Amino acid sequence: MAEVLQVKVREEVGSRAAKRVRQAGQTPAVLYGHQLANVSLTVPTDQIEWAIRHGIRMVQLQGDIRDTALIREVQWDAFGSHVLHVDLTRVSASEKVRMVVPLELRGEAPGARQGGITEQLIHEIEVESAADQLPERIEININELGLGDAIKLGEVPMPEQVTMIADAEEVVVQCMSAVEVEEEEAEEAEVAEPEVIRRAAEEEDQEKD
Amino acid sequence: MALMPKRVKHRKNQRGRIKGKASRGNKVVFGDFGLQALKGGWIKAQTIEAGRIAAQQYVRGEGRLYIRIFPHKSVTSTPLETRMGKGKGEPEFWAAVVKPGTVLYELGGVTEQQAKVCFARLAHKMPIPVRFVRRRPA
Repeated sequence: MAEVLQVKVREEVGSRAAKRVRQAGQTPAVLYGHQLANVSLTVPTDQIEWAIRHGIRMVQLQGDIRDTALIREVQWDAFGSHVLHVDLTRVSASEKVRMVVPLELRGEAPGARQGGITEQLIHEIEVESAADQLPERIEININELGLGDAIKLGEVPMPEQVTMIADAEEVVVQCMSAVEVEEEEAEEAEVAEPEVIRRAAEEEDQEKD
Repeated sequence: MALMPKRVKHRKNQRGRIKGKASRGNKVVFGDFGLQALKGGWIKAQTIEAGRIAAQQYVRGEGRLYIRIFPHKSVTSTPLETRMGKGKGEPEFWAAVVKPGTVLYELGGVTEQQAKVCFARLAHKMPIPVRFVRRRPA
């Protein structure tokens, strides 16, 4: 579903102007693509944050510009709580686009009940599909993941008309025994002080002394 | 055992200043939930270890804990009742320099409720204000 954003064309550019825009409850954005000129925009912060937090990718622009766009990139502040800027690309519904979508685990691994730890190694993948067919997330069922088992990217069921752009042999999720994990994290013997890296010339001088 | 570098270029570091906010290491990357610093500061290697123990006692055998900071900085001190001069003191402990926004620990393979309880225990060990964060939307 495409979320409707009320956009306004932004004349002022630069960090100080952008700060003023944010103080007024708007978020600076840029619209590009389809070999047309880039347009600086402002979008209401509450609308864009709602869309981002609900995983919405396709947005319907209304107001000064009427178009369909895809949320291509989002800039966050240092704490990850506020959206600073949004990149929007013009798309038509049938156009093929590449986007990064999150991978989410569903269910409970039987291996976890046998003393294993379910570890998700890949949290997002790049996919290609028609803009209106782009999934919000890809779900992986782990109800049959036993102890010592792993699910590779190639085994992840993809929605129809969605192609994965990644190495199919990469492991997405695995269930390792807790002992193995602890061994991996086991620290080396205690050292009182680290070794100091010296230049060869300094070492020679010390040897002479 | 507390963390410490294996090899260093210099045994003693200057104190330095913590300027600005974290522009890297400020996202949850490995796990599903994280503990984020809200202020800057030095976190001792012993404190990082104390946090790890507090968290692992809770998640033992269930989730996976990731430590995202490392104590690269040596902090020196001079003994008590020492007269002025005689040079810089000896290294006393190792510390991680943390900017506001840095993700200190991450946790994966547990529910949000479990992660919140775990990080609440861990937060008591931290010398700076921290908060619970989730993975950012892709």
